[in-house]
This record gives sequence, structure tokens and C-alpha cells, in this order.
Amino acid sequence: MVDETVATVLRSIYVSGAATLLAMVWSLPCSLLVATRGRSKVVEAVVESLVGVPTVLIGLLLYLLLSSSGPIYRVLGVRLLYTPQAMVLGQAVLVTPLLISTTYRLLRSSARSLWELAMSLGASRVQAALLVLRESVPGIVASGIMGFSRAIGELGIALMLGGNIRGYTRVVATAIAMDVAAGEFEEAVVLGGVLVLVVVLVAVCAKLLTRVYGD
Amino acid sequence: MTEVKLEEIWFRYPNTAMFSLRGVSATFRSGELTVVRGPNGAGKTTLLKVASLIYRPSAGRVLVDGGDYWSLDEGRRLRKRREVVYVHERPVLIRGKVLDNVVYGLRLRGVSEGRAAETCREIMEELQLWELRNVDVRKLSAGQAQIVAVARALVLEPRLLYLDEPLAHLDEERRLLLLRVLEKARGRGTGVVVASHQDLGSLSVDRVVVLSEGRVVRDLYLR
Repeated sequence: MVDETVATVLRSIYVSGAATLLAMVWSLPCSLLVATRGRSKVVEAVVESLVGVPTVLIGLLLYLLLSSSGPIYRVLGVRLLYTPQAMVLGQAVLVTPLLISTTYRLLRSSARSLWELAMSLGASRVQAALLVLRESVPGIVASGIMGFSRAIGELGIALMLGGNIRGYTRVVATAIAMDVAAGEFEEAVVLGGVLVLVVVLVAVCAKLLTRVYGD
Repeated sequence: MTEVKLEEIWFRYPNTAMFSLRGVSATFRSGELTVVRGPNGAGKTTLLKVASLIYRPSAGRVLVDGGDYWSLDEGRRLRKRREVVYVHERPVLIRGKVLDNVVYGLRLRGVSEGRAAETCREIMEELQLWELRNVDVRKLSAGQAQIVAVARALVLEPRLLYLDEPLAHLDEERRLLLLRVLEKARGRGTGVVVASHQDLGSLSVDRVVVLSEGRVVRDLYLR
């Protein structure tokens, strides 16, 4: 029982951590692009409104995309539905608007002057982008923590794309939902406490690492 | 000899209706000391950023040694850009120590850490920064930060150096020190362009460009 709970918690951390990192791969360049190319109110408004898109809608769209009658399977022959990879992809899509929105806000205040500084000192575009990102690490980490917290507590996508398969795609959020449905409230509350503890621990560790980096 | 020639430059910041520069023409050359004057909002900072090849103008041409800078490929632009340096009015320092900041431009050019520190030593000693080399930049006063930003520019030995209000945060002692160092840089052939409201004291100015509402209203050679 304890082993299974530990495995579920570790799987949650793996899925949500991988999803956050994956989302950062495309969110950071997007944020940097928008921040350095001048403020775009339209992009800002669109991204911020997407933060609130219901997770079940994202889950449904990705379900249609990944199911055996969807284009991914038909074109590539890859069966992703009800795998941890599908959950990673779904959660990555879910946290993308949040990451872009928070990182963009952070970069907007500092990116322009840092970009100008780098360019004026003879940096190439890549060197300038690296400087902006390097100087923004603490804020980017904070943004990542927000993304991770959002992903790990998410239920709709995990359920629709993962299917809550015991020992394979069951994560803390789906386990809580299952316990509640079965009337196992005590276990659900314990798992809920573990979920909060994980989020807090990850945030504290990330902040400590950032402080070490900053010093 | 490096020459940056601005021809009929118009510039507008993104998402704004007003032009900050309206048909500005001016030439900046290495070895010359030019002062740009004008009231707040006249376009001094924008002019310096366009002339230091950071901002692309909305209209007009920026000629560097006779060639249209913005029609060059990225590699050639980078080579040209490495001959000019701009120093912000509010110094932008990167996280780390004073030395990390001063060597940054050299590191961008592929100079090793040890060699970069060696190269910086003379100018840092001249600007009384060597003792502060291991100090975290967050602990610097505004004046010290300004001097660090100038040192970071000077170690690159640019052909043209643009300084935006470089005396703004400095006390009298540092002010005189900086003016002396700038005079020396000009003596070595660096073109120095200073946008300032303040009296530049002992600095022997070659030329004064006066801006008003985004236009050059006076371009006067004093020597």
C-alpha cells in the first residue's frame, strides 16, 4: 500500500516535472520573442485568456488527437493514449499559457534593457538571448514552480489521457478522485496532504537552488 | 577611422503614434568629441541608440564607413557593431561581481577569463575600480555602478563610444576622473559622443549637436 502510494507520488512528480520542462522549451523562446519585439497587447490578451481554458477541453482535444482514430496514430502509427507520455504532453499544453504569461511579464521589465546592453557590447543575437535568460533565471524558476503546481494538481487531463491505470498512469490527483468516488475519504485527505507537501518541497528546493546560483 | 552617418532618420517606438526622431541627419566620427544637448524628450537617447546600431530606424539610412548598416548580413553587422559601444543612462549591470561585468564584452569576443581580467586591470585601476573587482554589483552605489558601466565599455577600445548622461550619478571627484579618462580615450582615437544636460567642465568639445522635438536644430563645430 505504502509502496504503491510512493510510486504514485513519484509518478506525479515525474509527469508534471517533465510536462513543465517540456512546456518551457517552447514557452521561453515565445516569451522572449514577444518581450523583445515590443509589447503586443493582442498576444498578451490571448495568452492570458488561454490560462483559464478548462482542462477537460484540452483533454478532449488531445484525446481526439491521440486516440486510435486520431491523426497521430493514423499518420505516425504511435499509440500514445493512456500512457504517461500522453499525460506529459497534455499537461505541457495546459501550463504553456501560464508559463508564457508569467515569463513574459518578468522579461518585459528587464529584457529590453538587457538585450540592448548585450547588443551594445557586441553580442550576437544568440549571446544576447542567453544573457537575458541567464539574468532571468530566478524569475523563470518561479514561473516553472507555478507551472508545476498547476500541472500536478490537475485532474481532467490526467484522467482523460492517462486513464488512471494502476501502477502505470495513476497519479496523486487521479488517485484522490478515485478514493473520493469509493468513499475512502481518509486516504484521499492523506494523498491531498502529500500533494501539497510535494508542491511546497519542490518550490523550496527550487528557491534554494536559485539562491545558490544567484550568489 | 570609423564614421557613422545618419541620413534623414525617422524613428518611432513600437505601439506609439509619435516619432521620437524626425528626419535627423548627423555624422559621428572616431577621434571627435561630440556633445548632444536638448531638453527632456528631445530624442537624445533615441539618437544615441540609433547611432550605436542598437535601434533600427523606421525610415532613413545608417551608413557605417559608407555602407548601409541595416542592409548588411548578420555577421557583418556584428563586426561593425563591435566597433561601437553605448552606455545607458541608468547603468544596466549583470548579476555577479564588478569584474564579471567589466570583462563581459571581452568574453563575448571569445577572450579567455584570465586574459580578459588582465586586459581590464589598467582601465579599472585608472577608474579606481580594481579594489572593488570582487564586490557584488548589488552592493555598489549608483555612482560606482555608472563607472563600472563606463569601464566595461572602455575596455573594448571602441572606435565610437556613446554615453547617455554619464555624469548623472557621479560626485565631483568621480566626475573629474571620468572626464579625464574620456579625454584620454579621445586622444587614443576613440570618438566620444556624450548626451548630457550637465556642464562638461574641462572636456574640450569638438562639436555640439542640439536636438529639439526629434529634430537637429543646431550642429555646431567648435574646433
